[in-house]
Amino acid sequence: MRQFWVRKKKSNKARNGSNKQSVTSASSAGMNQPISAHLPTNVEWLYNELGASSDIVTRKIFDAAFGMEGVLIYIDHLVDQQTVNQMIVQPIIGMAAQNPDVRSPLDGMELLKNKALSVGRIEEVRTLGEALDQLLGGHTLILLQGCQAAISADSAGGEKRPVEEPSSQTVTRGPKDGFTENIHTNLSLIRRRIKSPQLRINSRQIGTQTKTQVSVVYMKGIAKDGVVKEVMARLDRIDTDSIMDSGYIEEYIQDAAFTPFPTIQSSERPDAVSAGVLEGQVAIIVDGSPFVLVAPVTFTRFFQSSEDYYQHYDISTFLRFIRFGGFLVSILLPSLYIAISTFHQEMLPTPLVISLASQREGVPFPALIEAFMMEITFEVLREAGVRMPRAIGPAISIVGALVLGQAAVQAGIVSAAMVIVVSFTAISNFVIPYNNMGNASRIIRFVMMLLGGTLGLFGIMAGVMVMLIHLASLRSFGVAYLAPLSPFMRSSWKDVFLRMPRWAMKNRPIMMSSNNRTRGGEGQKPKAPAIPGHEQDPSPEPKS
Amino acid sequence: MERISQSQLAALIIMFQIGSTPLFLLGKDAGADAWIAVLIAMAAGLLLLLLTLCIHRLEPGKELMEIMNTYFGKYIGYVFGIAYFIYFSYQSVRNLREFGDLTNLYLLPRTPLPVLIGCLLLVAGYAVWHGIEVFGRITQILLPGICAMYGAFLIAIYATGLFDLHRIEPFLDHGVMKVIDAALPEVLLFPFGEMVLFLMFWKFADRKKHTFRTTALSYAGTGCFIILTNLFIAASLGPIAQISVAPFIQLVSQIQFASFVERLDPFVAALLFTGVFIKLTAYFFGAAFIGRHLVKADQRYIVVSVGVILLVGSLWFRSFMQHIWIGFEYNLKYHFPVFQIYLPALILIVMLLRSQLRANGSRRS
Repeated sequence: MRQFWVRKKKSNKARNGSNKQSVTSASSAGMNQPISAHLPTNVEWLYNELGASSDIVTRKIFDAAFGMEGVLIYIDHLVDQQTVNQMIVQPIIGMAAQNPDVRSPLDGMELLKNKALSVGRIEEVRTLGEALDQLLGGHTLILLQGCQAAISADSAGGEKRPVEEPSSQTVTRGPKDGFTENIHTNLSLIRRRIKSPQLRINSRQIGTQTKTQVSVVYMKGIAKDGVVKEVMARLDRIDTDSIMDSGYIEEYIQDAAFTPFPTIQSSERPDAVSAGVLEGQVAIIVDGSPFVLVAPVTFTRFFQSSEDYYQHYDISTFLRFIRFGGFLVSILLPSLYIAISTFHQEMLPTPLVISLASQREGVPFPALIEAFMMEITFEVLREAGVRMPRAIGPAISIVGALVLGQAAVQAGIVSAAMVIVVSFTAISNFVIPYNNMGNASRIIRFVMMLLGGTLGLFGIMAGVMVMLIHLASLRSFGVAYLAPLSPFMRSSWKDVFLRMPRWAMKNRPIMMSSNNRTRGGEGQKPKAPAIPGHEQDPSPEPKS
Repeated sequence: MERISQSQLAALIIMFQIGSTPLFLLGKDAGADAWIAVLIAMAAGLLLLLLTLCIHRLEPGKELMEIMNTYFGKYIGYVFGIAYFIYFSYQSVRNLREFGDLTNLYLLPRTPLPVLIGCLLLVAGYAVWHGIEVFGRITQILLPGICAMYGAFLIAIYATGLFDLHRIEPFLDHGVMKVIDAALPEVLLFPFGEMVLFLMFWKFADRKKHTFRTTALSYAGTGCFIILTNLFIAASLGPIAQISVAPFIQLVSQIQFASFVERLDPFVAALLFTGVFIKLTAYFFGAAFIGRHLVKADQRYIVVSVGVILLVGSLWFRSFMQHIWIGFEYNLKYHFPVFQIYLPALILIVMLLRSQLRANGSRRS
């Protein structure tokens, strides 16, 4: 696996060379240059390549008296000091003391590799370019005089955040760990959940400057081979200088370029990602981002929380209906209110019409403008809530609730009914477990409001129809976005609107998994044995 | 090539057949026996369906235009192609216009007609742009909702106590002939004879050996449903049904129960919208597919130009009344039978003759 992404790196390099646009391309001629036998040349090259940055540490090990010369190089902020000191420097010094009879540099190299260094991952690098990459990856390089190779020992370290509860996808019951920015931590969170040899991790580096590690995680034999290949092909196609978050990757590899709907899921929860991987989805983990991408994904997946599977199935099913309802409300409620109060008052019961009319009596704006004002106000409040410093929170909520809500109604700028509609819409938006689907509904809501305000119910119906057509035309890595609703797949309906009990869902959903579909055995429905002590006929007649 | 599944084909047929028909009283001339007229028309329509299905059976991999090209040669096929292009476009136009006028009448009295028609046409064009596969999926998603809404309406009508079988008694009061007169050819041609359009769609179905069964079952089921709604309209409204423009809307506006279920007509508008949209889009597809054969151009240009033709065509009628009048006086009598009965029959006869000739020829040699 390691070999694999070393290979990838080279291809990236080659591309840079041809593009002649990246910063390193000027000196990239030397990238494939082999390590020379002359030690100072190598050290000088590396030094120059890194611009003699102040955080490069070189240390002379061995001296001429020992029979060979060597230098140890690492970048201060990328390595774990303790590893370098205890696992690399100390053994080398010990070796120098114990084995004074090393004759050739190659001898010394073998000795270092096989006996002295107590680091798990050790590699031999042959070109300067590779050596540089290793150095930037947090490895410690050991260069020996007269040796055309260098030893690279993994000493990567640096500060990392501990595993904490996910902040964006919370549950009341279920695992509380969340992904962090460190890819090794994230991979271990998944590996520890799925102890199967079929779990495959395939890594590569993306970003000519950032060289961000991106790992593709999938279950061999469960994920469709075509999807896995497609994911890798799309990742390999990315040619950019930097990856800061999985959001960058998502925009490069998603199916439709222009759609408000997310066609790739992103999750902060290792349990959700593992469950997806076990159903045949492919996870894409990006170093530096706690949000892991999962593909392919269908529309209905965005309404399933991982908690659905930890709670009892009846309440989970109920909650799913609430979520779908919330999504509809979030998209349609303001537009319906506008359309009905502007064009189709006859739809409402007479007392309600009168009450609404009396509320709107002093309001100077048409319903559409009124609704737009309130919706924009809410969006501003929401954005402010995310961006503002924590300490100002209470002040904002007081201003938002009292001044904007109550006072606006009292001042006769908006009607109370509109405030109710807008607040309920806003709250409904948050029942959708995945934030990006919620965002889609926010944008569509405004379009629908315009349609409802100009063409009434007819406009809303046309809008909904266009939305449906658009949804039906979307695909996520070859999987129809609206599956299993359409194309209709009855066998996968057990986990869409309903959440059937675990023992009833003995097959994986058909959309994502390959032919290997069976999760577990038959007859898993719990059957309570008779109460102990009452197995026999409860009334044995005494024989007397 | 794009594919639609058998269930999508079924949904397409059902939605296409339903269209906006349950909103109107079919076989008005038969008076209280309208539903019997519909029954007769449906049975006769089944024969027409068999005719078209036979054509499809003989050439399962080809659509209407390709069949005509194969059996009539390039030039006659082209002429027939133009004829069918006009027919499909005209049907699409009729749906468009009908919807525009009814919306103007019931939902948005002050919005100009071209705006309404243009909007609907944009949505339909968007569907055609995405292709038959996406269209199949939409019908599949909409179907349960439409069925549920119709079901709820019928229950609500019954619960309000509007439904009264005495209104349609006695059966066959004016004799059988009057009913048959009402049924043939009007009700046969609209909606049951319109299945000729599916000669354009059957080609795309997968698992073709089920196509026959799927089509026949969906057709029969929808026919029964239309009879049921017809029965409801006749038995609930009585004689008023025969003079009303859109009797189902009138009927629904009388629903009133549980003190808050009332004024449901905008929901009927939703039903009307969906039904007309599906029917109009299906014909739009038919016209666009044929257009692609007639003018060898990129599909995008064809969708746009057919859309423009439909828009102009639908604004051609001077009024709703003229539109209805032309429909009943001319189209049903002279024009539609040509496309729905005579031409398909001719095609089938030619197909059979030619395959007979070929069989004889091969035997002789």
